Formats: sequence, C-alpha cells, structure tokens
Amino acid sequence: MTILTRSAYGEPGTSLDFKTGNWRSTEKPVHIHAKAPCHGACPAGEDQQAWFALLQEGRVEAAWRALVAANPLPGVTGRVCPHPCETACNRKALDGALAIHNVERWLGDEAVANGWAYPVEEPPADAPVVAIIGAGPAGVSAAYHALRHGMRARIFEAASEAGGLLRSAIPPTRLPRAALNAELDRVLSLPGIEVTCRARLGRDVSVEALAADHAAVLLAPGCQEGRDWDVGGSVPADHHEGLALLKEFMDHGQFPAAQRVIVHGGGNTAMDLCRLMKRFGVGEVTLVTASGLPGPDTATDDLINVVPRELEEALEEGIEIIPHATVNRLIMRGSKVVGAEVASLKKVPGTDGRKKRVTFEGTERVRDVDMVIPCIGEMVDPEGLHSWINRGYLRPSDHWGTLSDRIYALGDARGDRGTVAEAIGDGARAVAAVAARLNGGEATTDTRAELPASDLNPVYYPPAARSVAPKLPVSERTFEAEIEGDIGHEAALAEAARCLSCGNCLACDNCWTFCPDSAVIKTAELATDGSFYLFDLDYCKGCGLCAQECPTGYIQMRPE
Amino acid sequence: MREALEGSQAIARAVALCEPDVVAAYPITPQTHIVENLSELVAQGDLHTEFVSVESEFSAASVVLGAAATGARAYTATASQGTLLMAEVLFNIAGMRLPLVMTVANRAVSAPLSIWNDHADSMAVRDSGWIQLHATSNQEAVDTTIQAFRITQETELPVMVCMDGFILTHTMEPIDLPDRMAVRDWLPPMAFSRSLDPERPLSLGMLVSPDYFPEIRHSHHAAMQQALAVIEEVDTSFHSRFGRAAGGLLTVEGDPEAKVGILAMGSTVGTLRAGMAHYVEAGPARLITLRSFRPFPAEALREAVEGLDCLIVIDRAISPGLGGVLGTEVAAVLSQSARPPHILNHALGLGGRDIPETVYVDLLDAGRDPDAPRFSVFDADMTKLAPEDR
Amino acid sequence: MTDATRLAELRQKFGRVPEGPSDPKPGTVSPREAQPRFRGLESGHRACQGCGEALAARLVMECAGPDVIVANATGCLEVFTTAWPQSAWRVPWVHSLFENAAAVASGIEAAMKARGKNTKVLAFGGDGATYDIGFQSLSGMLERYHNVLYVCYDNEAYMNTGIQRSSSTPHAATTTTSPAGKERMGKRHLKKDLVSIIAAHHIPYAASASVAFPQDLQRKVRYAMGIEGPTFLVIHSPCPLGWKHDSRLTIDVARKAVECGLFPMVELERGSLSNVMPIRQVRPVTDYLELQGRFRHLFADDPRAEEERAHLQALADYNITTYGLTGGDPDNADTVGTAAVGRGGHPAGRLRP
Repeated sequence: MTILTRSAYGEPGTSLDFKTGNWRSTEKPVHIHAKAPCHGACPAGEDQQAWFALLQEGRVEAAWRALVAANPLPGVTGRVCPHPCETACNRKALDGALAIHNVERWLGDEAVANGWAYPVEEPPADAPVVAIIGAGPAGVSAAYHALRHGMRARIFEAASEAGGLLRSAIPPTRLPRAALNAELDRVLSLPGIEVTCRARLGRDVSVEALAADHAAVLLAPGCQEGRDWDVGGSVPADHHEGLALLKEFMDHGQFPAAQRVIVHGGGNTAMDLCRLMKRFGVGEVTLVTASGLPGPDTATDDLINVVPRELEEALEEGIEIIPHATVNRLIMRGSKVVGAEVASLKKVPGTDGRKKRVTFEGTERVRDVDMVIPCIGEMVDPEGLHSWINRGYLRPSDHWGTLSDRIYALGDARGDRGTVAEAIGDGARAVAAVAARLNGGEATTDTRAELPASDLNPVYYPPAARSVAPKLPVSERTFEAEIEGDIGHEAALAEAARCLSCGNCLACDNCWTFCPDSAVIKTAELATDGSFYLFDLDYCKGCGLCAQECPTGYIQMRPE
Repeated sequence: MREALEGSQAIARAVALCEPDVVAAYPITPQTHIVENLSELVAQGDLHTEFVSVESEFSAASVVLGAAATGARAYTATASQGTLLMAEVLFNIAGMRLPLVMTVANRAVSAPLSIWNDHADSMAVRDSGWIQLHATSNQEAVDTTIQAFRITQETELPVMVCMDGFILTHTMEPIDLPDRMAVRDWLPPMAFSRSLDPERPLSLGMLVSPDYFPEIRHSHHAAMQQALAVIEEVDTSFHSRFGRAAGGLLTVEGDPEAKVGILAMGSTVGTLRAGMAHYVEAGPARLITLRSFRPFPAEALREAVEGLDCLIVIDRAISPGLGGVLGTEVAAVLSQSARPPHILNHALGLGGRDIPETVYVDLLDAGRDPDAPRFSVFDADMTKLAPEDR
Repeated sequence: MTDATRLAELRQKFGRVPEGPSDPKPGTVSPREAQPRFRGLESGHRACQGCGEALAARLVMECAGPDVIVANATGCLEVFTTAWPQSAWRVPWVHSLFENAAAVASGIEAAMKARGKNTKVLAFGGDGATYDIGFQSLSGMLERYHNVLYVCYDNEAYMNTGIQRSSSTPHAATTTTSPAGKERMGKRHLKKDLVSIIAAHHIPYAASASVAFPQDLQRKVRYAMGIEGPTFLVIHSPCPLGWKHDSRLTIDVARKAVECGLFPMVELERGSLSNVMPIRQVRPVTDYLELQGRFRHLFADDPRAEEERAHLQALADYNITTYGLTGGDPDNADTVGTAAVGRGGHPAGRLRP
C-alpha cells in the first residue's frame, strides 16, 4: 500500500515505475542494418557507405583500410570502373549521385603516396597455398584475398608483366601506367604472394599439376581469343578485331589507315578504340551499338555498358553514336569495305518471356566507311584449358566460381563478366570459398536487403552539389596524359560528407533528440559499428517518430 | 514600548518584525494601508524583503504561493473583493499545505458596493482549508500576526488573520510592538519540509485520483484539528515570552454565573465589553470571544457555554436563505452537548453599520423575548424597506 | 554524467554555491543514467504517442536544468507528468492553477532573490494558459521584470479538456467548439499574434521555436537562460490527437508549419525583430494543411474551402513578407534554416549575428 505523502507531493523521476511500453499496439522500432545500394551494386563487394562513414569522421587511412578489405586496387578501379555504385546511389534523386569513383581513386592514390600498409600479414610458411593463373585484376585480387584468409598465393602469368587487361587493353589516358604499376607492385610485393611471369598454361604449367600440390587452382586467364565475325557472309580482307587492334596500338602506336570508321559494339574496348582512333586522326568515327544511351526511358539492362564519363567524353570529342542499331550488311568493293548497312534494333520481350533482339525492317541506311571494326567480345584462349572450356568460356557453376572440387574460374574467363570490379570481386569470392572449404564450412554472402530511396528522410540532407574532377580539354587529349584529374583532399572529404548513409546509422542523434518519451538511449558519443542507440522498450510507446525522422532509414517500425 | 499607531500601520510593523522574504499585494478597492506601510518600510531600509506589487489579488495570492513553496516566509494582505478574486488560489494554497500568513481586513462584498466592514469576505472562503483567526483589537491583531508566522510553520497550514476593516485597520491605538530581537528569538527560522529545491527536486501540486482524494481531504481535516493545540500552545508561549496573550482558541469573560451568553468575533467584542460595563442594569452575561474560527474549537466551545440557558451568537455576515454562518455552526457544534443552550443568532453591523454600545442591552432584551426570531438581521430597520421586501 | 555532478559543475561555472550535493549512488550506472544530457523530464510520463508538447518540454529541460524551478500551469503537460505518486520531473516543480503559472513563478523568483539564490525559474503553460486565461498574470510578470523564462507550449487548442478552440487556434481549424459544418468553416477568428504582444512589453528576449528544429529551440532556451530578466519562448508543439495526424508525423507537421510560413520563427529583443529563421524552400500551406484532420474540410469540393485555403495562404505570405522569412543573408539557408544532420550529431546552431 502506497502511503500518502503530505499534500501528495512526488519524488523525482518516479514515473519510471510507470512502464509506458505496454501502450505499443502492434509495432516497435528496430534498427534494420540494411545494405546501402552502392554496396549492393558493387561487383567488387566494396561497402562504400562504410568507408564514407570513416571519411566523414576524417579518418582517411581507416577509410582506405576499409575499402581495401574488399578491393586491393582502388586506384585502378577508381579510374576504370563504370561505377554501378553511383548509378545505384540514392542521392541521385536529390542533387546527384556521390562521385564515388573520384573518392575511391583519391584514397588509392593517397595510400600509394603515403605508403599506407595493406591490412594483411604474411601467412605462416606452412600455410595453404593457392595457385592462380593470370595476374590480371581477378588473379591479383585472389592473391591478395588469399593473404587476408591466412593463405599464400602463387601466380603464374603468361605475359612478361602483371596487369592483364589493365595493361594490355586500357589506354593510359584512362589508367596511367604509373598509377597502375604503383598499386600492382604494392599488392604483388606483399609477403606471401609469389609471381612467376612468362609462364604459359599448357606450356610451362598445367592445371592438373598445380591442383596436385596446391590448396586450390584459381583460373583467371582472361579472354584473349578473338571471335569469328562476319556480316552477311562478308569478311573484309583487312579485317581487324577491336581488342586486337587496341592491343596492337598500345604496343606499337599505330592504327591501319582509314578516314571513316564504324566501330560495332557497346563496351569499353569499343569506346576506347573510338576515342583513340579519333585522336589518331580518323575523320569520322561512328559507334554502332545495340544498347541504349543513358536517359529516363532506358532500362538498366538496355544501357550501354561503358563508364558513363567515358561516354560523355567521347561525345565531347566528336564520336558519333548510333544507339539501338546493328550493322546488317557490309557493302564491299571486292574484298574492301566501302559501306555498311545500319539498321535499327531493339530488345523486346519474346514469347518465351526472355528478351530478344529484333531488327526492324525498313530502317536500313547505308553509311560510307573505310573500315568496320567489331568489338563484340573475346573468348578464353583454350591452350591448357581444353578440358574446362565450354562454348568459349569456363562457365563455372556458381557465384564462387566453382569448376570442380578445387578449381575455380574467375574474371572475364567465366564468360559472364565484363568489368575490372567484377574480376576483383571474383578473386575475393573464390578465395573465400577456398578458405571456407579448408575450414570445413561454407562461404557466406551479405544477404542484407538494400535500402530503397523511399525509406530515406531527405529533409535532413542539405543540398550539396556533386564534386567535379578536373578534366583535360579535348584539344589537349593525347595518347598518354590522363584525361580525368584528381579531385583532391578537400573535395574528397566534401564528397564523403554528401553520403546519405543509407540504411546505416549516421549517429545523427535524431532518434535520441526526437523521442518524446526518452525511450532512446544513446550508447556512445561517436562510433561506427552501427549501434549507437538502444530502444528502451519499457517506455517506447510506439509512436514511430524516430523511424519517420531517421534520415537514413536505419530505424523502421516492425511488428512486435 | 507603546506607540500610537493606525491598525494598518501596526500590522505592517508586526509583519516587518517577522522578516518575511516575500510580500505581495494588490491595492484592490477597498484597500488598507498595510501594504503601503510595508512598502514604506522597504523603501526606508527597515525591512529587507522582496516586495512584489502585483497586477491583481489573484496574482498576489499566486506570488506568495510560489514563494511559500520554496520555503520562503511569505505574506500578503487582502480584503473584500480581493479575497474573492483570490478564492481559487486560497483553496490551492491550503490544499498544497503551504505555510503562509495573510491579513484579511474584513469588509463587505459587493454588490452593492460597500467599502465598510463585515465578515462576508472571509466567510466566503471559510471552506478553503485555511486557519482563520479573528482579532478583537489592533494589539491582538499585531500579536496574532506574529503568532501566525509560528503557527503556519508548525502546522504547515496557511493562516488568515482577520481584523475588521476600517474599525480596526483605520483606527489609531496605542500599540505595544515587541522588540525585534525578541521576535527573532521567539520565531524560529523559516523551515518547510517540502520546499522547491534543486537539491531535492520534489513535485508539488500533483494529480490525485479518487483512490487517494478522500485521504487527502481527511488528512487536511486532521491537520486542522491538530492545529487547535498548536494555536493554544503558541499563544501560551507568546504570553510567557511577551507577557500578553492574544485570545487562544476562545476566551470567556463576564459573570460566570450568568445564564445568558453572547458569542462574537472581532471588534464587536470590544463594543459588547463596553456595553456590559456601562449597562450593568441590563443584567449579567457571559461574553465568549471566538478567536479561532477555523479550526473550529468545538470542545472548548462546549466547555465555554456550560451552564448557559441562552447563547446569543453575533454574526457579521449572512448566508442568505439560511441565516448567520457562525450562528449555524455554533448551533451545530452545541447540538452534541448534553444540555445545549437555546441559541439565538443575529447578524449585526453588515456593510459597516455602526454597532452602538447599547446593542448589549437590546441583545439581552431580545434574548428574554420568547417570541424573538431565532435569526435576524438585528439592526435592520424594516421601515426602510418596501413592505414586500421586509 | 549524473544530475548531481552536472548541478555541481553548473554551479561552479556560474558561481552558484553547491549546498550539500548528494553523491551519486554507488554501484553500476545504467545506460539510462549515463546519458550525456540532463533528463529533466523522465520516461514513464503519460503523454499520448508522438506528443509534441512532451518532446518540447524534454528539449527545454535538457538545456535549462538542473538548477531550475518550474511552475507549471494546468494542462496536458501538468497532467501527463504528475499522476501521483509518479512524477516525471527531476527538477523542483510546482503546479498551482490554470491561470497563474507566471505569478507563481514570480513568487518563486522573488523568494530566490530574497534568499540570494541564482536558481533560474521557469514557467510553463499551454496556449490556453498563456494566450487566454493566464495572459494577465504573464503580462504582470513581464512588466515586473522577474528573472523568469516563460515557455508556452503551443498546440493551438485546449487539448487537455477535449480540443476546444483557444485564441491560439489557427484560422479555419476545427476544434470541438469550432466545428466545420453547413454554416461554418472551422474557427472564424485569427490566431492571436502573441509574440508581438509579449515583445511589446519591451522585455529582453521573446522568440518562437518549433519542435521540428530542436537545435534552434535549444539555442533559444540557452540564450534566454543567460538573460537576467523576463524572457519568453513559444514552442509550436503538434498534438497528434487534436490536430488529427499520425503520431509519427509530429515533426513533419511542425516542420511544414514553419516551411510554409504559418508559424514564423522569430526572435525579438527589446521589442525589435533581431533574427528570423529563414525558410530554405517555401512550401504552399496545403503541404502543411493536408496532413491534418483539423483542416480536412478545407479540401472538400466547396468554394468556401478554396477561399479559406487561399486565406491561410495569404496569412502565410503575410508572415513571410512581414518577417522577411525568405532571408536576406545568402548564408542563412545553410545554417539556421535547416534541419541538417551530420555524422555524430547535429552541427551546432550558428551563433546569433
């Protein structure tokens, strides 16, 4: 029995005896720990939101370390990746996606300049060793991730230098060799990684022999073999396949003479080729692509698969692009091309529900050209891989790259990849699978749901324009000088500040500030582990204010 | 040392002797000189107090409420309309059991407008839960005021010191004001058990459900009953310190063998006392002075009327449709006596009507008249009324 | 930090002498006790879900306490915090009546002065207690220059008694005593311009604030706390029950009231406008009105509804023009006029110019 106090006065804070938590009817607030869309979209598995969080705190080296936990080559990908992260960025709808690639590149360059150590240690001498075929981005990534999992890596590279397609097919205007070499050298010189160059598969090493004395064999040979190409049965005498032409140019600095060229294809090789040829002096360069250009009506799966800024720059430089089109027929004078018949084409749903490409009759037009260069992709060089090749590629059975018991396929050779970032991701994934198997378990993926833009509360993000990197004017673009410049420290941090922290706690204090019932308890002044606040469900009445006012969508009301 | 002082001035000086922390007042019409005198004392540096000149009597009561709640010694004064404007706050102060002293210079309540004395104002707030002490003279008012500060502290009940407006407040009398050091010595430093204090942050004035409301009211009533003893003790203590009592709960004088008694409050007692001295031929009477109207000293009253055949109760207020307030209450209390006297109740001096000494004779005459009404407005002249209003 | 330590610290800082502070209880400190802010208003109070007034009071107490005494007028805040024997207050608190909070606060302040204490006195009232019934005692308190911060929690009607209209109820809003019907479109009269009336007392500081902008609100409280003399703050505090909106929308509704211009955020010193919170992007009043059931009748297919919407828009436009709410200082929009968040807490409110 409560004894009445004189005139019924009350003692301070005694309302804590009255648990208002039982007022909640159906829902309570929860921290959802969702995946930021950039992270979800990154083929290399980077959690951009996480390293932006560290940058927001001004912890640059820590941000780099978080970045390289997934991708050891940020200086490279920051330059060459088509950054699907930016396409996925929720800030797109506010005032422009974050310039993630600029910041990534800046972080990579900072690490090189400051000599920051990769967060790995040399595995013990008797640690399991993985054999890796190919020192391209997939192979290098695999070797690096092997160290992260406590394994050693032995890479066999057919060329005289590591780098794979990064070196052979990406012009220095996009990826200066100094930047490439610096980052590659830093990774490949990590203790525990051993690289043997000029070691050809089928001649110097064999998959079977490697499998016998390594924990696993990771095949990342890339695609070196041109596809057969003809249009309506015609193959010109001076036929050049795109990638081969590009590689040749990179080695010798020469293109075959031509005044009007059609490049047929829709990837970065086609784009690089177009731009280099234009700069080399070809008067008219036209890209004919089956894909669409970026625009509000273009479906994601229809979009031309090139780095967006490359596309912009190509247009600046005067490259003509004919989207949704194909080369139907070559017009030959003898064995020489004098024209090409171009027709409109589009992907439309077929009767089986899958999309198919349809060329529309009556849209044919003829262009006068000297040369038609197909850039329609390459296949795996079958040498030493005959028993694994299936219709030109290795075609592993899963996400991890599994070909058989201890053999994995990575990167372009899989047949379903097309970017450096995917190759880097493959390296990480295959090694994770190997490590898990050695530990008697199974590798896991981040299955968190992605946070949709509709779950954000945009009012808390003041307008801030996307930072722009300096760029060489068209007139100064050569074959060597990097076209896009460095955004610099200040802009990088400003860009980081634009990160919305989708689905992850920003530690902004909104929930703590707005709870009318003091039912949100702060756990730390500043932290980045994702849990700064607790809900005191003894008192939470379930009003939903915290969820409504959470800028990042990290708090949501869920059934009890 | 005796000084010739106007009643209001004497009260101001008495209040100043008690060194209140906060004084708030509003000059409602009709007003007294109490607060003016206090202002003057503050202005002259004779009184160190926060003097708050408020914008209404409502705020006057509210200001001292706030001050009292912090454990400060607080004081205000009012009269008539002002008392009624304060009414809501007065109930609140008492319900919160706050220690506070207030002078009520009793005056009539309008309409019609009257600035003169009667008890309608304090009677209107008799159920507010305040202690109400009535003074018969300015000396008693001074002494009661000083005592009130000690009573309110000991009981944690607010004390209203009632003195007749004009008759006392505006009258010069020789007053013996106690020595300041003696009062400081006799009156303990202000202390309040539930003061607003950041060191012990209590909540006052909370919402109480029906589960505890009757207990709240019971405890208040019990506290008032216990205050009877405190009022007596404080008067006794005052007497032993200053050589003068102020009337305890009630006092009895006159002929102890008399079969007729007269009971009154306030300055009427002085008039009756003089009448009794002058008009011995009118016959003996026992004069009972009720000082403590709230709490009502039922036991003391039953003793005081023992042996009386007839008790005439003088009211200076009327509850239209019932009669006298005091008379009705006295009758109710005495109805529990073994041999209650026959009770007559007369309202006298309403709205400042002068009460002459001869009223003593007239009251006793009326008491002997078997046909006299049990209640009357005794000095009302029926010839002044239209027949239908009589 | 415990309340006792904070109290001692404040007194140290402001020259207030500690009077035997009680030591913090020994033993482990719960996360609730370890909160880095003062909880003047504790959990377990009985405000409705999403109560704007509870939030406003909590925000005020955080930066005003603990060395304060509160006088609280009758109303929701008083009732939902102090159902005996449970009090949600951790500061000395007194409730007397509906109309006398300012006078009670005056008395407390006079007592503090008499006893040489520096404890600041706060008076709290709703709009009924402030705009209407307690208006006189408030005016008296201001005129007598008591060192009191009066905070009016403005939810624009008598919510505690069942949503009756007050002089603070906006034009055309429905309440139980200003319903909409065949002959009426809600409240016929205007919302009283209280801040101007208060400012006309020539007091050092009077301001309006909103629960949607807590940093601005707390800056104003701190500023007022530092002033020796009467100060006044009216805080727009949505009432989900009375305004008829979802409890989760309290902040959204409050923010839109500011952003459309219907609730101007102003500061007046000695009666002169000294600062306004500029509106970053002015919204139409309908953005604000449509969220609330009390304005639902204004969206009926009825020419009178259209007229009233236009009237409210005109009132908002008037505020924007009169107070210059779109801001002359180009920097304003990025500082005080935003609800921006950053990692690790809100950026500190800009200091007054």
